[in-house]
Amino acid sequence: MTVRTIDVRERVMAKNDEIAAVVRQRLGTAGVPALNLVSSPGSGKTTLLERTLDALGDELRISVVTGDVQTQNDADRLAARTPRLVQAVITGGACHLDARQVQQALDALDLDDTDLLFIENVGNLVCPAGWDLGESSKIVLFSVTEGEDKPLKYPAMFRNAATAVLTKTDLLPYVPFDVDRAIAAAHSVNPRLEFFRVSALDGSGMDAWFDFLRARARVAATP
Amino acid sequence: MHELSLALEVCRIAESRLGGTSPGRLRRVGIEVGSEANIEVANFEFCLEALLGAPPFAGASPSISRCPGADLRLAFLEVDDDGPDD
Repeated sequence: MTVRTIDVRERVMAKNDEIAAVVRQRLGTAGVPALNLVSSPGSGKTTLLERTLDALGDELRISVVTGDVQTQNDADRLAARTPRLVQAVITGGACHLDARQVQQALDALDLDDTDLLFIENVGNLVCPAGWDLGESSKIVLFSVTEGEDKPLKYPAMFRNAATAVLTKTDLLPYVPFDVDRAIAAAHSVNPRLEFFRVSALDGSGMDAWFDFLRARARVAATP
Repeated sequence: MHELSLALEVCRIAESRLGGTSPGRLRRVGIEVGSEANIEVANFEFCLEALLGAPPFAGASPSISRCPGADLRLAFLEVDDDGPDD
């Protein structure tokens, strides 16, 4: 038997990253910032987007790509809040969106008619951390019902995110959750993480979130 | 959970790097898994064994080593140049 070794040393994610670079270039050329919302299931990504579309839908041209393992329930909920197309990606079992799915979803969107793109990833705090979608930045959500140590348990997700949104703060009187401890845990993983504390139900903290989005959209739209 | 899609990508890269060599001659696939690559190694190895045991491969085995960092790399391929084509 003559055994020959072929040296490869190729990153397995190289193809995804290559497509992500194309997506990023395409979005950059169109001047569209893309925010990749990631969280565990049930943290409130869709509800946050519903309230965001309600508040900013007349002011900003917001497009949404939403991923789910099964059903287009989230896309239907969001489509009820905007006359614009909400692009559903059903992964059929995959635990994350990948760059190819986003690239295909962009084909259905008019980027010249978009000020801000949300990509609502599949609910999962592990896998989406490793997949570059060509987004401008990742925004990680976690809710006050999940425990303060979430950032320590899932460090890659919090390390790769630029912004964190602590959701469901209206439940704070009813759950043993220490906000300062949660933020400290997140900052121990990623000291630069920008934080928002919101309740999409009672509206607290939402104005700061909306201002953040206005700034992102307008800055990117400036030549 | 995403180990199967990563294993499929390993097989795609392996096939492309074999060039004109039949995938049936592949004997070992060397893979480096970063400690922060978000990969469950036993699950990943199971997926690789299943894929490398089926055509166009003919029972190649994965050889997984751990390394620091977040990368996942296909490090090397070992082929038997005297072996059957399939």
